[in-house]
Amino acid sequence: MTATLGYPQLRNVGTASKRLTAGLPPITVILSFAVVLLVILWSLVPWLFTSYSPVTGDTASKLAAPSAQHWFGTDYLGRDQFARVVYGTASSVTSALVAVLIGLVIGSLIGLASGFRGGWLDSVLGRFVDVLLAIPGFLLAVVIVSSLGFQTINAAIATGVSAVAVFARLMRAEVMRVRSATYVEASYLEGGNRLHALLGHILPNAYRSVLVLAVLQFGTSILIIASLAFLGYGDPPPASDWGLLVASGKTYVTAPWLVYAPALVIVGTVLSVNRISRWLRKAK
Amino acid sequence: MTSDYKRFALTRAGQAVVVVLLAYVLTFLVISVLPGDAITNTLRDPQHGLSEEDIQRIVAFYGLDQPVIVQLLLSLGRFLTGELGFSLQSNLPVSRIVGDALPSTLTLATSALVIAVVFAVVIAYGAQYLPGKWAAIVRSIPSFFLSVPNFVIGLVLIEFFAFRLHSFTTTDPNSPVATLFAAITLAIPVSAPLAEVLIASLDHESRQEYALVARSRGLTEATLFAKHLVKPSALPSVAMVALIVGELLGGSVITETIFGRDGIGTVVQKAVTGEDQPVLQAVVSLSAVVFVAVNLVADLASPLLDPRVKLREKVAA
Repeated sequence: MTATLGYPQLRNVGTASKRLTAGLPPITVILSFAVVLLVILWSLVPWLFTSYSPVTGDTASKLAAPSAQHWFGTDYLGRDQFARVVYGTASSVTSALVAVLIGLVIGSLIGLASGFRGGWLDSVLGRFVDVLLAIPGFLLAVVIVSSLGFQTINAAIATGVSAVAVFARLMRAEVMRVRSATYVEASYLEGGNRLHALLGHILPNAYRSVLVLAVLQFGTSILIIASLAFLGYGDPPPASDWGLLVASGKTYVTAPWLVYAPALVIVGTVLSVNRISRWLRKAK
Repeated sequence: MTSDYKRFALTRAGQAVVVVLLAYVLTFLVISVLPGDAITNTLRDPQHGLSEEDIQRIVAFYGLDQPVIVQLLLSLGRFLTGELGFSLQSNLPVSRIVGDALPSTLTLATSALVIAVVFAVVIAYGAQYLPGKWAAIVRSIPSFFLSVPNFVIGLVLIEFFAFRLHSFTTTDPNSPVATLFAAITLAIPVSAPLAEVLIASLDHESRQEYALVARSRGLTEATLFAKHLVKPSALPSVAMVALIVGELLGGSVITETIFGRDGIGTVVQKAVTGEDQPVLQAVVSLSAVVFVAVNLVADLASPLLDPRVKLREKVAA
């Protein structure tokens, strides 16, 4: 007992007080939040950020290099690439959000049922999760989207389904961990029922790890959906999902900005989301 | 121990077979749940030039005039006997299409795996031994690698090395140099999780007392790394092999498309656009077989590599 009270816990006290005095998160985390905020604003009110239309262009100034008028240059129809990126944000980011929600809700329900009921239900759901994991995630998404039809919303559903397994695994592990904790047993002794244990103890304890995974999965989903759009499995043009912009830009070798601009936006967004996820995990 | 191990091995092998069969069923259901009758639609496409007799033969082969459950059982029965059916686009046997495409993908995936391991070891070594600031930068490389989509890496490499430096041409995608760049594209996202595991493991191992003893004996850090730290850090990486294989299989779809290689990834892409269900079904279930088999080998090997791994826990998990 004295041994466990010694060094590690003192160290925890140290980091806790350091965190209190430091106050603000690291500068990279603040920057990441700023990037994510900007991306959210792009998807909600794109017209505030650009005066150009994403669908009609001025063919006289087609394939123009980036300039003060056209930050990301123009495409083969003279459309402003920055406007296309900004207007494409809504579907690129919303669909990633939909994907995370599907994975989160279905996966958590499976994990909860599995860990909470145990027995045969756990075995059945466990095998189901094994099967979902056995098919490589991206292939599973490709098959589902080809079965549902080539639309961005279907790409989102496909990405969500392929994320179900990881959420189910995590939630089950969390339930198992908390379920056998002494204070949960104590709450049973005090007359609390299963629902009370679930709402009062298990979910509040699990929520932090699940949140970290959800944020991480948000970044992954942006990548997967961009890849599906790149292959042409999302909404067809004139939609301007980020992955689709890269795909249509790659035809114009003389205008590399058509590829680099949306690519940088994808990388910046995902990098920021991942940084936030790592910060949340550490701050735990 | 040996009889324990035998039971453990048999249980895991049994579970693996069940998972493969269920993966087949799941894929079948996902593919055939699709609205509309894709197989007959494709067959009746006049461009296809199939005679009514041919169509009847194919319909009978797949049991298309019967309920889904019968089709599933027929299909599963064929899969178990190693019969993968025929492509709806080319009428070639699926096994031949897959067999033709496999060598290209195997070359790509193997090279990518080697490159990924090299990248991961270099990153982990740098994170451990470079001076403070540099180590911090190296430590952030994996999360950067994880944030760049596969297709962007590929396009950037092509732009610089093919179009600017003329190191290779995209018209000859199977040349060694082109293969190397395709493999790098595929390797980068794979190396990231591997590097993260290695870094964490190295951090842990180098704090152990045996490492301290070795340093006090006068070993240089490089010798310590090579002789003592690599082996225990390799164990957790073995557990990731299955994950990596999945990444390689999924990533090959994008990489092969970008570099214009004819491999399994391209087969998948063509099957998706052409609604070629037998091909899609075969490729997806074969990847499940590969994934499950690799996972099984890793699981069976880990108690042999590390006697501390408890068999019972593995069976329960």
